Amino acid sequence: MSYALVVAETRRNIFEERNMDSIGLCSLMGKDAFLLIPFGDYNVNEQYLNGIIKVKVEESMFLNPVVMVNILEKIMASHGKPYLMVFTNSASGTELASYAAGYFNVPIITDVSAYDKERGTFSKSYYSDKIFGEFKPSGEGTFIITVRSGSFKENLCDRNANPSLEIVEDVETNTTRTFMEFVEEEKSGIDITKAEFLLSIGRGTGNNEEVAEYEELAKLLKAVISGSRPVIDKLWLPKTHQVGTSGKTVKPKVYLAMGISGAFQHIAGMKDSDCIIAVNKDPEAPIFQYAHYGIIGDMHKVRDKLKEMLKEG
Amino acid sequence: MNLLVFTKRVPATQEEELRIIDDGNKIDLSKVPFKVNDWDNYSVEEAVRIVEKIGGTVTAVSIGDSESDEVLRRAIAMGAKDGFLIETENILHDPNARSTLIYNFLKKEGLPFDAIFTGVQSEDDQFAAVGGILAAKLRIPFVSMVIGIDNIENGYAIVRRELEGGLQERIKISLPCVMSIQTGINEPRYVSIMGIRKASKVERKVLKASDYQENVENMIELTRWVYPLKKEGATLLSPDLENACKELLNILKEKGVYQ
Ligand SMILES: Cc1cc2nc3c(=O)[nH]c(=O)nc-3n(C[C@H](O)[C@H](O)[C@H](O)COP(=O)(O)OP(=O)(O)OC[C@H]3O[C@@H](n4cnc5c(N)ncnc54)[C@H](O)[C@@H]3O)c2cc1C
Repeated sequence: MSYALVVAETRRNIFEERNMDSIGLCSLMGKDAFLLIPFGDYNVNEQYLNGIIKVKVEESMFLNPVVMVNILEKIMASHGKPYLMVFTNSASGTELASYAAGYFNVPIITDVSAYDKERGTFSKSYYSDKIFGEFKPSGEGTFIITVRSGSFKENLCDRNANPSLEIVEDVETNTTRTFMEFVEEEKSGIDITKAEFLLSIGRGTGNNEEVAEYEELAKLLKAVISGSRPVIDKLWLPKTHQVGTSGKTVKPKVYLAMGISGAFQHIAGMKDSDCIIAVNKDPEAPIFQYAHYGIIGDMHKVRDKLKEMLKEG
Repeated sequence: MNLLVFTKRVPATQEEELRIIDDGNKIDLSKVPFKVNDWDNYSVEEAVRIVEKIGGTVTAVSIGDSESDEVLRRAIAMGAKDGFLIETENILHDPNARSTLIYNFLKKEGLPFDAIFTGVQSEDDQFAAVGGILAAKLRIPFVSMVIGIDNIENGYAIVRRELEGGLQERIKISLPCVMSIQTGINEPRYVSIMGIRKASKVERKVLKASDYQENVENMIELTRWVYPLKKEGATLLSPDLENACKELLNILKEKGVYQ
């Protein structure tokens, strides 16, 4: 029971980059990593793996929790129970992982961003990264981890050998849940990923009336306006202006974030900006850990002062 | 259509300084205000909209201390028919323990349901796992990140789930099922203080978590709480507003995005 089973996340025939963090965790823990992946033409970084298990089902079946548990059952019947199963902490990963945890009645720790080898503990975020809890599975037996993207890539360890290859067929299907189609986002006027300067506003904006004031500031600064998820959920800005994992990934020259706390789903969408400036009234806001410059203060006051200075010229 | 909606009262920590006390064993939340979990607010709204359209009932369920009655009253004010509080003073960190408790409650009380709604995650612990574990225990299908319910009728639902980068997938799922609802699926209605007061007149059953303890055990152990590792962090601009804004404009000029 020493191998780690890494359940790949693929999307429309792309092997998602965040799988490398799942494999990196296995390297860090010193576990042999076996990658479970749908049968197909995926570009996999094989040098980090001990084995690849290709499952002869379509991607949409593979990513379906009610089918995945059948796949896992089959793997465990032939390979024995893994030491752990690793999933990505994302739209498909969390769905599959939680269902598998309930189905097999095994411990689960989600959104893991660090592993302490000595203590054998996994760190998971609480309160949008203000505090972390260090957890470990109680007792022996297989457990499930979902890994936060970007956390373990640097731990990847080259094996200098080819992984074994296995093909799994005859997976039992389950039609209680079936894939129908992908639905693409509607395109709108401005593409925020092309902007050099983004003024991005968060829940701290307060209410819809304030949004117009920030749009005016953006205009004066010749910046494009964008927002965190709550701003889009509340319909203050159109969906195409959302930054983050479920929105757009942006890399402007300057990202000016006002009233955004810095949850990882947001950070993932903007952390590679050349220069990040954060305005937040909470000195402990996690966004200050990613920003190059920070103003601790009331965003509305900063906005009004900037407008005043810009209008004076 | 009978819909069960799980709703949780959570600390609103976004603007609070959090302290770890008791040698890393506890987080001091004594001065932090509490509110309904954002995801649950959308999930209650979605359930209520469905029964308003096609008929049926929404029942709200919460696990927590007696204060959690507040989120039940809120759900009733939004349109739920009634509420159950599964009362416990213990904070169950482990999503497996929470799901097992819910599972036992459902089996013992025999509440009929066509679908169970949960939020995708709760704001405080961000586990995003209770819905999935519960569905698997019940051996019914599960869908998470639900951002649109196109159709729900006898036997099945057609829903859209959010993937990444604005992409969605449409799926068909048999009922009964568990759906975890994503924020932004609707615009939750405004709930007035008056509305919540009126909801107090509707019965909420208070049950003891100790009556549903079979196999409820922590499968994971919390060893300690820690603060995030501080990186170098941001260079702070002047604490004086005027100077800070001047410095900010200079940075913009330096970076060439503003002349
Ligand atoms: C599956 C999934 C996908 C997600 N995808 C995304 C995504 O793509 N993009 C995204 O952004 N989020 C996403 N989220 C949500 C994410 O977890 C956070 O909830 C969200 O990013 C929080 O947005 P916020 O920072 O604007 O709000 P909050 O976390 O509420 O922070 C508001 C901040 O404003 C500050 N503030 C308040 N008033 C003022 C003031 N007057 N002056 C200055 N500062 C003030 C506060 O101190 C606080 O730091 C996703 C979540 C899930 C579960």
